[in-house]
Amino acid sequence: MNSVRNVLAIADKELRSYFASPIGYIIIGLFALLFGWFFYVYLTFFVQRSTGMAGMGGGATNINQDMIRYVLMNSAVIILFVMPMITMRTYAEEKRSGTIELLLTSPLTDVQIILGKFFGAMGLYAAMLLVTLLYMGILFIYGNPEWRPIASGYLGLLLMGGCFISLGLLISSLTKNQIVAGVLTFAVFLMLWVINWIGDQSGPTTRVIVNYLSIVDHFDDFARGIIDTKHLVYYLSFITFGLFLTAKSVDSERWRG
Amino acid sequence: MIEVQNITKRYGRTTAVDDVSFRVERGEILGFLGPNGAGKTTTMRILTGYMPPTEGRATVAGYDVFTHPIEAKQRTGYLPETPPLYPDMTVREYLDFVARIKGVPSRERRDRVTSAMQRTHVADMASRHCSKLSKGYRQRVGLAQAIIHNPEVLILDEPTAGLDPKQIIETRELIRGLAGDHTIVLSTHILPEVAQTCQRVVIINRGRVVAIDTPEGLTSRLQGAATLYVQVDAPGVDATETLQGLPGVSRVALSDQRDGVRGYEVESARETDIRREIARAVVSRGWGLLELRPMRMSLEEIFLQVTTEETPEEAVSEQRP
Repeated sequence: MNSVRNVLAIADKELRSYFASPIGYIIIGLFALLFGWFFYVYLTFFVQRSTGMAGMGGGATNINQDMIRYVLMNSAVIILFVMPMITMRTYAEEKRSGTIELLLTSPLTDVQIILGKFFGAMGLYAAMLLVTLLYMGILFIYGNPEWRPIASGYLGLLLMGGCFISLGLLISSLTKNQIVAGVLTFAVFLMLWVINWIGDQSGPTTRVIVNYLSIVDHFDDFARGIIDTKHLVYYLSFITFGLFLTAKSVDSERWRG
Repeated sequence: MIEVQNITKRYGRTTAVDDVSFRVERGEILGFLGPNGAGKTTTMRILTGYMPPTEGRATVAGYDVFTHPIEAKQRTGYLPETPPLYPDMTVREYLDFVARIKGVPSRERRDRVTSAMQRTHVADMASRHCSKLSKGYRQRVGLAQAIIHNPEVLILDEPTAGLDPKQIIETRELIRGLAGDHTIVLSTHILPEVAQTCQRVVIINRGRVVAIDTPEGLTSRLQGAATLYVQVDAPGVDATETLQGLPGVSRVALSDQRDGVRGYEVESARETDIRREIARAVVSRGWGLLELRPMRMSLEEIFLQVTTEETPEEAVSEQRP
């Protein structure tokens, strides 16, 4: 009970700090804008294609598979670019300003602090995704897409974002400088995204391993409307492992002084 | 209330704190005096559970800070060297957040925040952002933060550093006012500060405890004897008696001897300068006076390093960027 309270206190503080400065608004606005752009491009493309198909007298098109899926897959890439801005300050800024001394001398465990920061960042991320539901609403007004694949797509986005956040927290906990944290986080995210480009060129065994490592690759099935335990396990264990390493990093900092 | 036993902290090869032990009784104000870099902050960080010691143990309010950190931290308020403020929060929001993470029940929180602000005289800044506060107010909000959960133990790291003289006086009064309900450890590198606020002083230098005493006790120790070192070239003759016979000399001891050159430690009352008499006595006997210099005790050395006067310049230069 107490530990939940502590986690919530930190999460609340983190979430507020995003909106105390323009950063929260900028991130949400930027994401909504880019998402809207992809939404527009794929919608136009989809409309053209379906009217073309209808003219040829055949070939059903499905808005879930032929449009929404691509919008969500592309938004995964935008998230990859936006996420370092969310996570870079989490630990680095506390260390620089000395407020980490307040947290570490309060009756909180390291895990409570880390979970608080994780859920705080997840809160902002959820707000980002919530705004994009407006676009989906438009589709429901003018058409009748299926909601289940959309729901699984958003679940996938949440989990994928969770991986980015846990990794971002880890990197932020390694430095005092939030710019260093941001750049490093971005580089690592990019690596984890493009790693499957190497996979496509190499032999079958390497490809399987490399594709497995790519965070974005695991999202494909969610976007298609498939919730596969394999991917769930991957994402959840990735998040747990990232948070675990963050705890170790915070603890080792303590020993080094 | 606080017990520190043989604490040592090493960073790699450097030893920041070396075998430090002391006790603080309930309701007492203990001063931690030492020059910059003496190990004061490190000791305090160990006491607050911010970092573990390499060796030794510390208990606060009966709880080992390393094995029962949560219980110990619940009973400790800590003001670090730089007040740990969040710039984008208002003073009230900040104190409310601190109250939350220190485990103050939600129905008491409002009252605790208000009373902490009143006790530290920051109530008029309640809705101002922490980034917009002056140095003096930042320090006081830091103090409000430390007392918000009504801890048994207060640990204050240089609470008056960087304040102007008026603020320093106010802060000291504030600390003395807190003393009844709390056990306080405060660090400083300013000598008069301990004399004015503390009941007992731990003097620390290069990570070691040099002395633990009351301020009065330390003063009288300092006003004790002065020691001179005298080296005399008088082959085959012991000068002890001659030196002993001089007026004002209380004790003479032979400290070294080599090829007929002897070194003596001559003790005298502090106020009297007997160097001229010694020189005259030695020379008039036809001996060679090779060396004559005052010897310093280590305690005195520390006192010379710690600031014995407060100057505004000093206060300014202490501010961390």
